[in-house]
Amino acid sequence: MERKVRVLMAKPGIDGHWRGAKVVTTALRNAGMEVIFGGNMSPEAIAKVAVQEDVDVVGLSILAAGHMKLTQRVLQALQEESAEDIVVMVGGTIPQEDIPPLKEMGVDGVFPPGSKTDLIVKLVKEKMSQKKARA
Amino acid sequence: MSQLKTREAYTGSGIPVKVFYTSEDLPDFDEARNLGLPGKEPYTRGIYENMYRGKLWTIRQFSGFGTPEETNKRFRYKYENGETGFSISMDSVNENGLDPDDPRVQDEVGQSGVSISSLADMETIFEGLPIDKVSTAVITSQWSSPALTAMYFAMAEKRGVSLKEVNGTSQNDPYVFSLCCNMIDFVTPPHLLRLSVDMIEWCAQNVPNWHPVSFASYNYRENGCNAYQELGMLFCNAVGYIEEELKRNRLNIDDFAPVLSFHLAAHNDFFEEIAKFRAARRMWYKLMKERYGAQDPRSLAFRFHVQTSGSTDIYQQILNNSVRIAYQVLAAALGGAQSIHATSYDEPLCLPTDQSILLSIRTQQIAQYETNIANVADPLGGSYYVEWLTNEIEKKAWEYFQELEDKGGLLEVWHSGYIHREAGKAMEERQREIDSGETKIVGLNCFEMDGEPYQVPVFRPNPQSTEILAERVRKLRWERDNQKVKECLENLHQVSLTDENVMPAVMEAVKAYATLGEIQDVWRSIYPHWDIPIQY
Repeated sequence: MERKVRVLMAKPGIDGHWRGAKVVTTALRNAGMEVIFGGNMSPEAIAKVAVQEDVDVVGLSILAAGHMKLTQRVLQALQEESAEDIVVMVGGTIPQEDIPPLKEMGVDGVFPPGSKTDLIVKLVKEKMSQKKARA
Repeated sequence: MSQLKTREAYTGSGIPVKVFYTSEDLPDFDEARNLGLPGKEPYTRGIYENMYRGKLWTIRQFSGFGTPEETNKRFRYKYENGETGFSISMDSVNENGLDPDDPRVQDEVGQSGVSISSLADMETIFEGLPIDKVSTAVITSQWSSPALTAMYFAMAEKRGVSLKEVNGTSQNDPYVFSLCCNMIDFVTPPHLLRLSVDMIEWCAQNVPNWHPVSFASYNYRENGCNAYQELGMLFCNAVGYIEEELKRNRLNIDDFAPVLSFHLAAHNDFFEEIAKFRAARRMWYKLMKERYGAQDPRSLAFRFHVQTSGSTDIYQQILNNSVRIAYQVLAAALGGAQSIHATSYDEPLCLPTDQSILLSIRTQQIAQYETNIANVADPLGGSYYVEWLTNEIEKKAWEYFQELEDKGGLLEVWHSGYIHREAGKAMEERQREIDSGETKIVGLNCFEMDGEPYQVPVFRPNPQSTEILAERVRKLRWERDNQKVKECLENLHQVSLTDENVMPAVMEAVKAYATLGEIQDVWRSIYPHWDIPIQY
């Protein structure tokens, strides 16, 4: 049996706006993925749990303006855990002009409020098949 | 036989609607009993006789970011442009009851709201602003409400505005920061309830023009609930607080019901929202009169603030949001709101810019001064459709209220996680409706475009806020009278162990410049930690 795609959904930092993370969690589960809902976690904890749980994807939900710094810190922590191959997606209140720099940083997908959940599912699946092709 | 094809239609909350309504849809309608007159029982038509001809609704835009100095500048800008009420938005650090130098806090100070750690910050925010004439809403978590409200009171007193004169509202709602937002360091519901009700009790006796709670069903709605669930939860929570106060045998219902207030959402379904506001007034009247025997007309009148629904705003074709906001403002005004916050079109991307907040203020002023909607109270009263829908919403809201009461009421549904599961289900349902296209959202699931037609400026909070404010709070700890602070916190600890009201001790502590984090630490050391039961 094929292994299900494993996702860690987390909110780096202490901001408590959870709706987006919950909506995306539900959408990914409905698409047959296994999602660990981490809630609020420090960037370092996100990287540790991602490695321990052997996830394929980390989803970050950020709605309190700190997305550049917080994402950078999660990516750095993943690097320190030698887990750069994990797909990283960011959702939340992200201005359009921040999307290119986030992608340059190494983020695979960015989804502002109002993004269709099927587009998120589609991107995860695409990234997974690319990963498989490389392996 | 007619060959006309008619599509089925539902309100935003899924109530089926016909093509038109007549008197036959109101079989038991009794004008005196169901409607009354504006300012008269059962208040369906509004809580004041002269409604907006006496006083226009207050333009109260929720805002705050970065340092207290930066927020003061924004407050002045809004006031100079005709804002008529202040409302402080605090950052996630404040909401969690932490100080900017807490080791768990990184990069988030002043990002989603202003950071206030002591009385000194509150003084800076309101410097030069006429707090004796303009009311203020102190909006933060229930957890941080007593200390931050006390800082506002202490600031007002230092400015020569006595507790008898100070005017405004604290949010202090049980669910905003456990159902709608998570917290990282929280105590159990019975203790949160005690602190909230202490504040209500103390304010009712000492700060007569202050509303020490604003039950914020806006936030439940933003979390996915529908219009009648919004009212059902709202009244379940209000009843929970009222019962807690009455249980103490210190005050009668008319001693504190006049200071209770409410904060509702204006969502997309125009008539359903108007019906909801009207139903809410009638429900509150019945609750107060029939269940609690209240006599004071101020106890019977449902005072409410409306915020246009941020969750209806999307990033696609972003200027469209300003149209959504204007319609929602119109619904709130036709529904008889006492104050309105028009959100800003850019909020899916950032906190509002000077320009977008100006547009929000102007949206309200155009409604107030150009459309003439403020001339006549409850202009939709008597419409077959609106009266039928008001009855429907009321009926369904009572049913949902009863369901929550049957599950044990506020403390039980809150502590057990029942309400969290209910909100989760509602949120999933709303998402399903959008994903399936059942609910149309222009630019999201219809009239989509490749690429964005509008480029809008983006607001950036001061990225140095954490460093600046962490340093400032460290400096405060050097400069203040620490012996005095220690005594005040020790006293707060002692009082908190008894049934005595904590507010006098909180007031003393903030006047000595104890910080928010230090005050919350007193309660963290006494009360058990609580992980919010959000299973996901």
